[in-house]
Amino acid sequence: MMQDTLVENTAVGDTMRVLVIEDDAEMANFIEKVLLEAGHSVDKAIDGERGLELARSADFDALVVDRMLPAKDGLTLLKEYREAGGTTPALFLSALGDVQNRVQGLKAGADDYLSKPFAPSELAARVEALGRRQAGEPQVTALKAGDLEMNLLSRKVTRAGKKIDLQPREFRLLEYLMRHAGQVVTRTMLLEKVWDYNFDPQTNVIDVHISRLRAKIDKEFDEPLLHTVRGAGYRLQG
Amino acid sequence: MKLGLPTFLRTTTFKLALLYSAMFAAFSAALLVYLYYSTVYYIRNESDRRLDLEFEQLGNAYFTGGMERLSQSVLERMTRTGSTYFYYLEDSSGRKIAGHFGRMPVAPPEADSKTVYFDFDQPEPDGSVIVRSAAGKFVRLRDNGGALLVAFDTAQQTAIVGRIQRAIFIAAPIGLFLSLLGGVLSSRGAASRADDLARTAEAVMGGELGRRVPVRGSGDEFDRLGQRINAMLDQIEKLVDATRNTGNAIAHDLRSPLSRLRNRLEIALSQPLSQDAANATLSETVEEVDRVLATFNAILRLARLEAGAEGERVRMDVSELAEELAELFDPACEEAELSFKSQIARHMMILGDRDLIGQALANMLDNAVKYTPAGGAISFTVQRGPDGTIDLTVVDSGPGVPEASRALVVQRFQRLDSARTQPGSGLGLSLVDSVADMHGGRLMLQDAGGPPERPGLKAVLRLPRA
Repeated sequence: MMQDTLVENTAVGDTMRVLVIEDDAEMANFIEKVLLEAGHSVDKAIDGERGLELARSADFDALVVDRMLPAKDGLTLLKEYREAGGTTPALFLSALGDVQNRVQGLKAGADDYLSKPFAPSELAARVEALGRRQAGEPQVTALKAGDLEMNLLSRKVTRAGKKIDLQPREFRLLEYLMRHAGQVVTRTMLLEKVWDYNFDPQTNVIDVHISRLRAKIDKEFDEPLLHTVRGAGYRLQG
Repeated sequence: MKLGLPTFLRTTTFKLALLYSAMFAAFSAALLVYLYYSTVYYIRNESDRRLDLEFEQLGNAYFTGGMERLSQSVLERMTRTGSTYFYYLEDSSGRKIAGHFGRMPVAPPEADSKTVYFDFDQPEPDGSVIVRSAAGKFVRLRDNGGALLVAFDTAQQTAIVGRIQRAIFIAAPIGLFLSLLGGVLSSRGAASRADDLARTAEAVMGGELGRRVPVRGSGDEFDRLGQRINAMLDQIEKLVDATRNTGNAIAHDLRSPLSRLRNRLEIALSQPLSQDAANATLSETVEEVDRVLATFNAILRLARLEAGAEGERVRMDVSELAEELAELFDPACEEAELSFKSQIARHMMILGDRDLIGQALANMLDNAVKYTPAGGAISFTVQRGPDGTIDLTVVDSGPGVPEASRALVVQRFQRLDSARTQPGSGLGLSLVDSVADMHGGRLMLQDAGGPPERPGLKAVLRLPRA
């Protein structure tokens, strides 16, 4: 592995084309480096006007939009982009990580929100989650990762044909991990998407829930599915 | 001040006083003029009326008894005691028939009847002569050619008018002076109180935040203004203190991790490092920086919260949130070898911000998990409190917080020294306290009633029920 890698062990496979709209050159370069290392291609725009133009003119898999931009701020840009029918999923970046800003960003048409400063792994994980989302979630009734199978209708989970009993929360946790199988999922993402919490419970509560889930799906099997990605989060690898 | 004028001369109060003095002077002048003229008019009128009465009576005598009766009547009146009139009667050839004067004291007018004014000499018993002024009426007798003059001494009248004039000329300037003096004094009073305000403001601007406007206890406008300003200054001082404490705390809480960071990098720089060692140093550095950022974010969040810039309150079921959090923390407690019990009354509604309440409860639970040694117990209950409140209570069996330190732990950045070794930004309970404040509730810390060496902490977040 390269020594200057920022993100360890990100799933490569789905290469995404990402547009980064960010006026701070250093931040833009940092984001570019993170995404390039994660195996994606990156275009950059340094102000809101150019960003909107680019987003409309080319086919991207994801947008990363900073809130504070010259010429046109991030909120306006997103609003105009969505009003004109743009569907590319967008990650909203802001230096102010409070609830109001997150709500504003989501209302303006962002699909996810990340406040600066952020860990490279968090950015990479969230961008990848965005890209996957677009790929087509809708009609899925069953999820599969290796020999682990989840039926979303009957809510049955089996591994190698063996039934696994899960608590409702564990089910939702596993469902989220399976939907993002192969991707790194951070603790914050789990808190937000599985528990719907936009605050930090501090104690390593997520780790404990993961280890319980792991005990249920991996313990009796030779090949572990649920991996811990050091310094980043978890990955369910089929 | 550069103009060299005393401050009070430029105050609004003084200008008002000046205006009032001018108006007072104008009104007084008008009043005095009216008084003067009406008095003079009355006096003249009264004299004329009485003069007419004399003529009427003398006229009656003349018409009934002719010249003879008239002269007799004149003589009678001249000798009557207390009479204030002078008489003079002459015949058609200008010869004196009766009267006070040696001859007619005025030139006979063309008209038959005329009001006349004249001076005459009156000899005194001591031989001197006094010039006196008189006013009267000259009437030429019809079908006879004689003439009658009746007059009265105007000295008294003149004296009265003179006295009124003197009174006016003395009183007016005195009144004007007094009203000006009053204006100056009262405006100086007001100006000095305004100066008090200005001086206090200057002192506060100069950094003396403890200075207050003197209040005299008279309850007037200046006192009330002063009290309001003092209340405002109290609040400002409190906020500034809080900010200053925050600054100090930031310095305190961020300085040591940053120093550690610097030292680590310095050491790393000073010696050749193997790739593995360099990686280890860098990853430790990143962790340290993450901790600093977390502390920094917590400080910012708390500051925004206290400034009222965060949170949106809606009606929410706090029991549901508590259930979820209990479920979230249960495994973590088990992991830490703590027994965890929760007892949550159903459907307790509050008006709250879900994220903030969640954060507050998580902080309370996190606190309990962090400070309770393995083998201990944590309980989490949600139940009705007194007076339409809901008590969200976390009890642990940890070392507890000595009573004297309880106020301290909710203060920002305060961690008991014994807890400094534990991870955490020291902002946990302060945030709970801020959230409680914002929701109209409060955070209470109590003894959990365990053994003295480990009494445990009972933290109660009491919120109003919706």
